[in-house]
Amino acid sequence: MGEVLRVENLWKSYGRHEVLRGITFSINEGETKVIIGPSGTGKSTLLRCINLLVRPDKGKIFLDGEEITRPGVDEASVRARIGFVFQHFNLFLHLTALENVMLGLTKVRGLPREEAERIAKEALLSVGISEDLWRKYPAQLSGGQKQRVAIARAIAMNPRLILFDEPTSALDPELIGEVLKVMEKLAREGMTMLVVTHEIGFAMKVADEVMFMDEGRIVERGPPEEVILRPKHERTRRFLSRIWELYDLGVQR
Amino acid sequence: MIGDITYIIEEYWPLLLEGLKNTLIITAVSYAIGVALGLALALIRVYGPRPAAAAVTAYVEAIRGTPMLVQLFIIYYSLPAFGIVLDPLTAAIAAIGLNSGAYQAEYFRGAISAIPRGQWEAALSIGLRKWQAVRHVIIPQTWRVALPAMTNELIYLLKYSSIAYFVTVPELVFMGKYIGSKTYMYIQVYTIIAMIYVALALIASEGMARLEKKLSIPGISVTTPRQ
Ligand SMILES: Nc1ncnc2c1ncn2[C@@H]1O[C@H](COP(=O)(O)OP(=O)(O)OP(=O)(O)O)[C@@H](O)[C@H]1O
Ligand SMILES: [Mg+2]
Repeated sequence: MGEVLRVENLWKSYGRHEVLRGITFSINEGETKVIIGPSGTGKSTLLRCINLLVRPDKGKIFLDGEEITRPGVDEASVRARIGFVFQHFNLFLHLTALENVMLGLTKVRGLPREEAERIAKEALLSVGISEDLWRKYPAQLSGGQKQRVAIARAIAMNPRLILFDEPTSALDPELIGEVLKVMEKLAREGMTMLVVTHEIGFAMKVADEVMFMDEGRIVERGPPEEVILRPKHERTRRFLSRIWELYDLGVQR
Repeated sequence: MIGDITYIIEEYWPLLLEGLKNTLIITAVSYAIGVALGLALALIRVYGPRPAAAAVTAYVEAIRGTPMLVQLFIIYYSLPAFGIVLDPLTAAIAAIGLNSGAYQAEYFRGAISAIPRGQWEAALSIGLRKWQAVRHVIIPQTWRVALPAMTNELIYLLKYSSIAYFVTVPELVFMGKYIGSKTYMYIQVYTIIAMIYVALALIASEGMARLEKKLSIPGISVTTPRQ
């Protein structure tokens, strides 16, 4: 099992606010790692650094052994190898579901239309978006459908790694399940994934490792049973007890 | 009155037609220049390097801060001093086009900033280069948001095309004045001219409304045009 992603001692400040303070971890092929942590601790910033949307101040990131933080790297070709699923979907508003998935295939990968269409349809079917929804615009889809199209858009590019930034946080509770199910299936099929989420049920079931981030550092990491059920650090415990409260409320409803 | 109007139309229709033709040419060509220039300026202002963006801002403010007639006179009367001599029609088209470009740059800039930031990030995240993100994601959405403002602009230009009269382009108002001086029926002549403008404005807004409908996509919001 090769190493797909390695993050080495990553630092990032906005002004005097140190958002990332020495983040180090790696992900092997086929692994799913989950990051949990309170709001404002730099989880999104970390993912955005990996996708080169944000430049770190210090530290290195390697994708398949190639340093992608080095100066002069071809950012677009790196991003084409990394999928990104956003909290607010960010589907292209002027394109249909099918066109959303096709755009990267035709314009980035340079595939002919028919082939792009075939791959896009396959990707949409694999996330449970059936033919009757292919010609719909984002505004005509439910939140869960939008996020599944966004996942299809990412997987159609056949990426080495997919980053998920709280993919279910913007969804109505009854739509969360359908998106998590798709992500579980992806993980089982061997996709390499880094997921920021507060869905601890998902983490328990799918994650190879859970990392708890707080104030720009990884405070605690380990197998999900350890970190989620038997956290060692006081801060992890405090954070999880709040999550459990919400989780219980959700289950009871 | 009605008799006078039919008389004028019967007697002078070739002149009116010639005026109409020139009005349409000035409007259409300067509008096309304005759209292309406006979009280019807006993209430079939003995505371009800082000095270029500042230059665009200066241009837009200079144009918006001076009367269009003064701009026309500068182009027609002052440029020859620098060896650039334009015939009246070209000078009018250049003046109105350059002026419209500045205003449309503002419409397009407003439309671009109304596009959610996540659209840009998603475009980059699938591996599009910046120019591809602009071309395939930003511009198609910009049109749709800016269309109502663009409709207004077209109708403005239709009316502003009459400033070409001041550099002797024989457009509608010019012809009106000429026919009036021949017949001494100024009121009747200008009534005809006014009706032609109203008809053209109606056709223009109807055409743009159809285009808007054709291009409309659920969920893409539209900014209210500036008055
Ligand atoms: N572009 C920016 N400029 C200035 N500050 C920023 C910027 N982006 C993020 N920050 C700050 O960095 C900190 C970390 O933000 P980040 O979005 O990474 O946190 P997060 O862990 O993802 O939080 P959440 O759970 O709310 O999404 C926050 O305090 C935020 O205000
Ligand atoms: Mg975040």
